[in-house]
Amino acid sequence: MKDKNNESVPLADLPVGAEATIIKILPNMRGRKKFADVGIMAGADLILEAKSLFGGLLRVRVMETSMAFHARDAKNILTKVRKNEKAI
Amino acid sequence: MKKRFKAVLAGNPNCGKTSIFNALTGARQHVGNYSGVTVESKSGFFEIGDISVEIVDLPGIYSLSSGSPEEKIAFAELTKKGVDLIINVVDSSIPRRNLYLTTQLAELGIPMVLAFNMSDDAKKKGLSFDMPKLEKYFGAPIVQTIGRTGSGIEELASKIAKTLKLQTRSARPMPAYGTDTDDAIRAVSEAVEKYGGKNISHIPVRFFAIKLLENDSCVAAIPELNQAKPEALNQMRHLREKHAIDPESYMADRRYAMIAGACAGAVSASRERRREISDKIDAVMANKFFGFPLFLIIIYLTFFFTFTCAQPFMDWIEAAFGFMSDSVKAAWDENTLPFWRSLLTDGIIGGVGGVIVFLPNILFLFFAIAILEDSGYMARAAFIMDGIMRKFGLQGRSFVPLVLGFGCNVPAIMATRCIESERDRTVTIMVLPLMSCGARLPIYALVIPAFFAAEYQAAMMWIIYIIGVAVALLAAKIMRNTLFKGDGEIYLMELPPYRIPTVRSLLLHMWDRGKIYLHKAGTIILATSVLLFIANTYPQKTVFSKDYDAIAEQAMKTGKEKGEPEEKINGIIAALENEKSSEMLEYTASGRIGKFLEPMFSPIGFDWKLTTASIGALAAKEVFVSQLGILYAEGETDENSDTLRERLAKNYTPAQGFCIMLFSLMSIPCLATLAVMKRELNSWKLMLVEALALFAVAYAATAAVYQTCLLFGIGTKLIP
Ligand SMILES: Nc1nc2c(ncn2[C@@H]2O[C@H](COP(=O)(O)OP(=O)(O)OP(=O)(O)O)[C@@H](O)[C@H]2O)c(=O)[nH]1
Repeated sequence: MKDKNNESVPLADLPVGAEATIIKILPNMRGRKKFADVGIMAGADLILEAKSLFGGLLRVRVMETSMAFHARDAKNILTKVRKNEKAI
Repeated sequence: MKKRFKAVLAGNPNCGKTSIFNALTGARQHVGNYSGVTVESKSGFFEIGDISVEIVDLPGIYSLSSGSPEEKIAFAELTKKGVDLIINVVDSSIPRRNLYLTTQLAELGIPMVLAFNMSDDAKKKGLSFDMPKLEKYFGAPIVQTIGRTGSGIEELASKIAKTLKLQTRSARPMPAYGTDTDDAIRAVSEAVEKYGGKNISHIPVRFFAIKLLENDSCVAAIPELNQAKPEALNQMRHLREKHAIDPESYMADRRYAMIAGACAGAVSASRERRREISDKIDAVMANKFFGFPLFLIIIYLTFFFTFTCAQPFMDWIEAAFGFMSDSVKAAWDENTLPFWRSLLTDGIIGGVGGVIVFLPNILFLFFAIAILEDSGYMARAAFIMDGIMRKFGLQGRSFVPLVLGFGCNVPAIMATRCIESERDRTVTIMVLPLMSCGARLPIYALVIPAFFAAEYQAAMMWIIYIIGVAVALLAAKIMRNTLFKGDGEIYLMELPPYRIPTVRSLLLHMWDRGKIYLHKAGTIILATSVLLFIANTYPQKTVFSKDYDAIAEQAMKTGKEKGEPEEKINGIIAALENEKSSEMLEYTASGRIGKFLEPMFSPIGFDWKLTTASIGALAAKEVFVSQLGILYAEGETDENSDTLRERLAKNYTPAQGFCIMLFSLMSIPCLATLAVMKRELNSWKLMLVEALALFAVAYAATAAVYQTCLLFGIGTKLIP
């Protein structure tokens, strides 16, 4: 984890329970618009609620809704941690 | 003559749109919680005062762009000519997210009414709204509703009527996206104005300009806009290079900012309660460690409910049909029109009764599935299952159609429309027939108790289902690695908060399924029962290899002379009659087909009767049961005849019993399934390949199992 000194952390690397703010979405990310449509864009606050047991999916609370999407896509979402909760 | 208007119902997934649609129209439609359950747009009517309103229910969407099939459908409906009103259902407990779509709908310039649904939840959360302010901002009347109780629906209907009569178009200034972007929008608008034709003149040019700048594929595909595209590209480049604005995501950002502006002062919040409860449930249900075992248990319970709890109802139905058939037989002399007597009792009452008896199974199963969907668990299941599904080349979204496949493959194949990726969808459709549908349940329900002791029955059923799932996953994996290679598409799914399903919605859903099943019983199955009955009766044999009647008489005489017990004599006579019926059956059309194919099917443990029944099962899987019922009814020797189950147990070994199930599970699905497959895959070739492949797999697997059983003597003895 490299969130020590306000560095950006890819969403996929956050621990479960972490609260973070999106600071940048990498330009090469697929489906940027689709994500933006559900509020996943720079400036948005989110909570990483869960990672799926068999890998692959993240469950992220954004704008009071839980959305599930792939860690592979979430690699392109850079965040800044606000609160780092221990994994449940 | 009432004046007619057309309204479309639009809103985010899970905002309660279907509930509002039902409350307004009284239409029977399923209410579900899985994102995008309403994939096809449905319509209904309602009348108020002197007007009649047609409502088209659109699929749930987050945005008016064209990323998914749902969005494409919604886009097409909304931009069609002749839409008089948009009814925008908003989940008012999460206004910021839901109003995002509203800002885009407003750009269409069509009169609009907003239903602030889930107002009970909003209240619980402590949200309060400054309605006049919001109405002014969105230029549309707003009504607070509770979809599940119908509260606020009357007011909604009257606001709809009023807006339709006045035809008030939104008068508010269009949302501003910021100076640079607005300049670009204006330039593209001019180009659209200049080149765009009559076909799109009912929508403001500004709408198209924004969508072109967002690089929206549906809008880009409109031929009238072709000539405006270069200008759009030009402006996009300009925005990117000169102002470092990426219009594709910038517009979204601006819209959210607008909403934040509109909500500031108009919406106030205090706490978040519903989510808290939902989160507590999720802490267990979607738990990293318990989640998966719980999921397996829930699926097992669903089957238990379907199988065991429905049993008493099935017994009643069985008794009722037996009574009906016996009454007709008693009232109708054996010698008057014997063909028609037997067609009615054995063919029609027997055949249809044999199918209707499984109605309780179907109703119970769909009741359970409706609970899973409406409560919101289905979306969790998709989340839990995604990782596993992906290992087999499928995805979490494939999971729901696959589970629906346990009910009926036909709606399940239609439900694959929620899978955006074409490849994932094709593969899901292709493996779906391996999900053991409700119509195959009668076969298991017949066979399992015939060959397996009560304590193993649920487990046996479970094994059969698991085999289906395992083969399906394996097949999917193979297909994804060979025929359908490639990268998956973007996956984005909402996990709605848990909700207690309404009894009304569960019953509606259950009843809908029951209706479909009964309809099938009344049409296809009735017709095939009659056809099969005729095929099972004609041509009639008149000359036999032995003179059975004479032999029987002789046996009776000698038996009596020797003073043998009545039972023994009756037994001998029954055996003779059975032999005669067999000979008669072999002579009939279906007997001949079965006989002809028997050598081909004997390696899988099938005799010609089972072969004949399997052919009948092509019409509908449950026909297998009614067909066997007819075939074995022919051998009936006395009033206290055995049930079909008992007869099966006398004629086949447990190994054969298992093979019956295995083959029925994997072989070619029913004609209705093949028909929707053809439609959804849009290819005759794929459908035919699929049918042949399924037959080959079923044959190979069943043969392997049967031969192994023979080799090791597993279950090869008749049950005493
Ligand atoms: N508390 C509350 N629940 C509601 C309300 N309206 C609908 N529901 C419930 O919300 C769930 C989803 O409702 P639907 O009507 O299926 O929602 P939808 O928008 O049609 O959903 P999709 O078709 O899946 O997009 C169901 O369990 C409803 O019973 C409401 O006003 N308040």
